[in-house]
Amino acid sequence: MNPKEKRPQKIVRALRRLVKPIAESLFAILIGLLIGALLMWLYGYDVGAAYYWLFKGAFGSINSMLESLSYAIPLMLTAITFLVGWKSGLFNIGAEGQLYMGAIGAAWIGGTIALPAGVHVAAATVVGMLFGVLWALPVIILKLRGAHEVVTTIMLNWVAYALVGYLVIYHLAMPGAPFRTVEAMESARYPFLAAGTTLTAAIFVALAFCIAIYLLLWRTKLGYELRLAGDNPEAAKYAGISVRRVIFFNLIIGGLAAGLAGATQVLGRPPIWGVYETMGNLYMLGFTGIGVALIGRNHPIGAIFAAIFYGGLLHGGTDMQLYAGVMAEIVMAIQGIIVFALAVPELLPLIRKKLVKFGKVVKRKGR
Amino acid sequence: MGKMDYRGIAKPTVAIVIVVVIAVAAFGTWYVTRPGPIAEPVEVTGLEVKAQWYEDDPGARAGWSPWAVNPGEDASIYVEVTNNTDTDQTYSLNLKVAGVVYENRTLELTPKEKKTEKFTYTTQTGVDWKYIIDAAGVRGNIISGNPPVIVVVSDIGGRGDLSFNDMAFKGGEEAEERYGYHMIELISTTEADYLPNLRAAATHERANLIVGVGYLLSEALATVAEEFPNKNFAGIDTYSRFVIPSPNMLDIVYEEHKGSALVGALGALLAAEYGKPHIGGVFGIEIPVLWKFEIGYKWGAKWALEEWLPANKPEKKIDYTKEFVLWDYTGTFSDVAKGYEFAKPMYEKDAVTVFNIAGPLGLGINRAVKEVAEVKGLGSGPPFWTGVDANQDWINPGFVIASMIKRVDYGVTYAAALVRENKFREAVEDTGGAITLGIGTEVLGEPIEGISVSTLADLDEFIDMGVRAEQVLGKKVLPMPKDEIKERVETMREAQESWIWEAIAELEQKIRTGEPIADLDGDGTPETVPLAETQEPVNYWRGILG
Repeated sequence: MNPKEKRPQKIVRALRRLVKPIAESLFAILIGLLIGALLMWLYGYDVGAAYYWLFKGAFGSINSMLESLSYAIPLMLTAITFLVGWKSGLFNIGAEGQLYMGAIGAAWIGGTIALPAGVHVAAATVVGMLFGVLWALPVIILKLRGAHEVVTTIMLNWVAYALVGYLVIYHLAMPGAPFRTVEAMESARYPFLAAGTTLTAAIFVALAFCIAIYLLLWRTKLGYELRLAGDNPEAAKYAGISVRRVIFFNLIIGGLAAGLAGATQVLGRPPIWGVYETMGNLYMLGFTGIGVALIGRNHPIGAIFAAIFYGGLLHGGTDMQLYAGVMAEIVMAIQGIIVFALAVPELLPLIRKKLVKFGKVVKRKGR
Repeated sequence: MGKMDYRGIAKPTVAIVIVVVIAVAAFGTWYVTRPGPIAEPVEVTGLEVKAQWYEDDPGARAGWSPWAVNPGEDASIYVEVTNNTDTDQTYSLNLKVAGVVYENRTLELTPKEKKTEKFTYTTQTGVDWKYIIDAAGVRGNIISGNPPVIVVVSDIGGRGDLSFNDMAFKGGEEAEERYGYHMIELISTTEADYLPNLRAAATHERANLIVGVGYLLSEALATVAEEFPNKNFAGIDTYSRFVIPSPNMLDIVYEEHKGSALVGALGALLAAEYGKPHIGGVFGIEIPVLWKFEIGYKWGAKWALEEWLPANKPEKKIDYTKEFVLWDYTGTFSDVAKGYEFAKPMYEKDAVTVFNIAGPLGLGINRAVKEVAEVKGLGSGPPFWTGVDANQDWINPGFVIASMIKRVDYGVTYAAALVRENKFREAVEDTGGAITLGIGTEVLGEPIEGISVSTLADLDEFIDMGVRAEQVLGKKVLPMPKDEIKERVETMREAQESWIWEAIAELEQKIRTGEPIADLDGDGTPETVPLAETQEPVNYWRGILG
């Protein structure tokens, strides 16, 4: 940066850094809404009413805002798993399975071991996070031996699905209702923040975790190493940064985040306070986190806002069905289109990079 | 990216972006907070159909212009009556609300005279929607612009499952048709949606009945029912009464054990007829509801072999052993492949029919049957399989011997009827929070059934459900044209000995009376079909029946 630069210009630069991604994202939302409108128009729905109820349902009243926040809790955490990986050049899509493990860990401590209030919820949460890490360990070992993390994480997701289903039915089942685990005891539950919503104090834990990750990435040496390994692997190598160390800490953080996400769904979301054998209350939260991370421009603070936005879409979809009469499948398609449009700005540089690389390869082969 | 000099354009760009952001935010705030367009009322049947009258009394004419009303408001109904005859007429004009005469007036009209009568009616939630005007045989229905709403909250999957969920929506449609409700479908994407979805449904101003479909919604229903004491909640197969009992929460449960006994007997008699050693049952997850199926099925089979055959067809008699019924729990209600995996060895052991008690796994069982049919070149069973919940006979006509139908739709429609007649809370109080639909069952002294073995007569209804599913899913669902399905099912049924169907009818009759049927456990006292919902009776009956 030019030291002679005038102050106003500095501010302008800082502002531009902040405003540019926001403006891009808003533009992307607009595009997404337009495509969605086209789709609904094709199916003969009242587009105005549909969008009105989508946003009204999401943020139109205090309760719906709080409900949207509740939906956002696991999403911001699984987004952390993905974005931290992305920062180091890893494509970690293991949040789904690690989240299942985190949930079953929390359900185990929360449902079967009596502890004093306060300690109980903390213990169950920590064990949930550790279960998430447990499921990241094989990924680390295999990655250090050269197996690509995309393959290992996606396979481990399915192993977790089957394993957790087994644990639910055969070890933690509620008597008389073996399709679900025992309820987390009162002492292991996060307290409600408002009546009539599912929002619990778990939101504070999630927010604190996201902010901690932000501080870690930009205010610590480890964070610098993690980012440099992704930004410029060559430079990182010359700077003497250990790739093994980066991989290790990166995936551990990912496991902690996904495990915490799972724990919040058991200890911080009514009414079942447990895990279904079908994973029905956890299903897709990990994968959705990828989209949320991209919407949030792969930034921990961005992920918070993106998760709240996406949570709003999920919750607003209910009112869209209820008052605008839009079919559930169309609602899901609209949500998908908006998310896709929003993810594009973050994906563009990647695509461009790949294209350039591809172009070079083609050129070289052409010679 | 190349280097670019931003200095000249940076400031205006930033300014423009900030203005755009503020404008979008302002617009968004305004947009969300303004009173919005409401997509409903969707259908205003009563307004479009200006007049309905029966041709058998051409003398009188009625026309009306009702105002759309909200609960608590006055509805003004103008009824125009014209005497088209050449003599003086006296008309009796009735305003009926929800089937009850609200007001009666007598009108005397000279020839060709026209009079307009105004009725005023203060509406109440629950009964505000339907006005029937009678004028001496002239009848018309007025459905106000804002009919009350029934919200059907399904579990994951929603439409197109051809059994459980589709049946519930069918019940909602029936309530629309019969009682003037407007049904809203709310489909849950994940199980985390149940609570927010039910709350949103209960928040709907005109919703006076919210139905949750499936046992997974029990906790959520119980919670929301407590929060919204003015709304009515019903759950299919739910156990909300054990979570939090509320005066406005009604569990609707079914006598699956009785229906299972009927198809168990059917299977056993088929085995006797064809000289096969086994019948089979592929179950889902081991939950109490499925125990009812399991014990009922085995009990029915034993009754057929040990009670009915020796008395009526001794020459066909085979012995009931603990190995006669092959059964297994798959641990899933969704993995179709498991249906195939578990059914295949049963058919290899020469089971005459396999009972599907795991929803979509029936398609897996069907695959196993198809394989056998292909190898042996069969055009019709045996081997068969037995359907569940809906009439599944059409899925593979000729190879589905019958289905145990659980009328989920009746449950939904009945709950709507209870609300409409203002008897909902009475029913909750009277029954302890759960009504049971089955064979020979009664609620509030009125007979209402919900369990049966499929017949040819109700096949049409369910083929139509398949047709509807084809429209929704946009892909082929029915295996062949409707007429061909019916023909094949009929041929298959006629191909079975008539005494088999007579025996089933006999058992059904016995079950309906509620009297003890037979002493199959050998304890000296005869019993009716046992209801096994807890571990203890299940273990007891497994000890006897295998």
